[in-house]
Amino acid sequence: MSSDLQWLLLRKSNSFFVKRVPEGPVFSRESGNLTNLHSFKYSGLANQKTIDISESGNGIKITTRKQGASPIAVRKGLASSTIRNRSGGRRAAGIVSKLAKRGYRPDLRTAALARASAILASHQEKKPAPPKKVRGSKVVKA
Amino acid sequence: MASRPTVNVHATAGGPSSSSIPLPAVLTAPIRLDVVQQVHKSLAKNKRQAYAVSEKAGHQTSAESWGTGRAVARIPRVGGGGTHRSGQAAFGNMCRGGRMFAPTKTWRKWHVKVNQNQRRFAVVSALAASALPSLVLARGHRIEQIEEVPLVVDSAIESYAKTKEAVALLKDLNAYADVVKVSNSRKLRAGKGKLRNRRHRQRRGPLVVYNEDNGIVKAFRNLPGVELVNVRRLNLLQLAPGGHLGRFVIWTSGAFALLDEIFGTFDKASTFKKDYILPTAKIANPDVTRLINSDEIQSVVRPANAKHQKRPWTQHKNPLVNKGVLFRLNPYAKTLRRQELLKQERIAKKGAKKPKAPKAAGEAFLKTLFAP
Repeated sequence: MSSDLQWLLLRKSNSFFVKRVPEGPVFSRESGNLTNLHSFKYSGLANQKTIDISESGNGIKITTRKQGASPIAVRKGLASSTIRNRSGGRRAAGIVSKLAKRGYRPDLRTAALARASAILASHQEKKPAPPKKVRGSKVVKA
Repeated sequence: MASRPTVNVHATAGGPSSSSIPLPAVLTAPIRLDVVQQVHKSLAKNKRQAYAVSEKAGHQTSAESWGTGRAVARIPRVGGGGTHRSGQAAFGNMCRGGRMFAPTKTWRKWHVKVNQNQRRFAVVSALAASALPSLVLARGHRIEQIEEVPLVVDSAIESYAKTKEAVALLKDLNAYADVVKVSNSRKLRAGKGKLRNRRHRQRRGPLVVYNEDNGIVKAFRNLPGVELVNVRRLNLLQLAPGGHLGRFVIWTSGAFALLDEIFGTFDKASTFKKDYILPTAKIANPDVTRLINSDEIQSVVRPANAKHQKRPWTQHKNPLVNKGVLFRLNPYAKTLRRQELLKQERIAKKGAKKPKAPKAAGEAFLKTLFAP
């Protein structure tokens, strides 16, 4: 079944649809949606080929659809690889561009990289805030 | 149509090893969301029971209008004295204690007839949608871990008699998550339905379609959200609950193999439904991207124009005032203008009065003038 037709069937209502802010953006929370935006381009449901980047216990899991997988396969049709937490954004960029070079959704290159980088950034520990300078009359007291 | 894919039959423990069945034609039928919604809307009405307010409600009083002259509205008023009710307005839909507006009647049209072919079209569409993983996911079924959609299991499960076996099977298929989802979704219903034997509301789980009931119904029916149906009696209300396509269906191999007989194919009539053949799609290839990029289209379209980069932040020029911009937008304006100027010139030339050549003065006049 063509992706275009599937998108038409999914577009108006599906269980992943998030429409909270009136007049605001419409989001979608399915896996395989890199920006979580409800659109045909980013849809993880309608598109035949998708890239899913999500957090797993020990790193970032990148899930793609196997080449030549039957359209009826669900679990069997997916292939995944993991990036360890210690590796940085460059590693994610490499993996994503490798997919793009293969002709696998080159249009998602920036979105995939952005998502991977965002997840990696969230792992990093925050720098402690510098101690507050004491000002005014409290300086004299100290 | 390309070669039809085959669907694996999931083997049960102790049963024959896995085999495969070609995909029945009905699962590749056109999916028409509008037809399904329309038919569902009508079919869902057929289970209603009649209700109405009492025939007498609001009319159990002998009220009569007081007529004019008593400085009150002419609405009928309850007669007599000794109670608050006397003198109060009655009957009207705007009155306290009056009849409702357009009282409901038991002879309302409760049921809606739907043409048989439309009903069949809807069922066929819903079945085809249940064979697409994305639509089943979009309906909210937890099928991420299952092997493939449609999910076909060996017919041996039709002789299951214990729910324990059924649970083990669903866990083996990785389909138990959908039952768990239903179980977790069970909530108290809002409103009066609680008192009317509809105490809880919950999601829908998988629909198990069997060919022959050798105990399978009793084995599965106590699982929350799981429904069972004989393949000969497939029903739109179960295949597309709420008019939403993509119910998660678990087929027994016997039922799955029977589909081509029940619904027929695109060129062979059904054996169960008289003269029924499957509806065909309006276009053979609904893949728009593929159509656009096809040789047939690409060979006839005009090549794309050079990219026109618009410079931002420039002052807007009014073409009504600025001639340069006007001529760029409308090159003919230049010709028009020139023609107009030439025309003006011609008119000017033609209509201009010739200066009168001064006549020579008459001889008599001159004589008098220069007279000595």
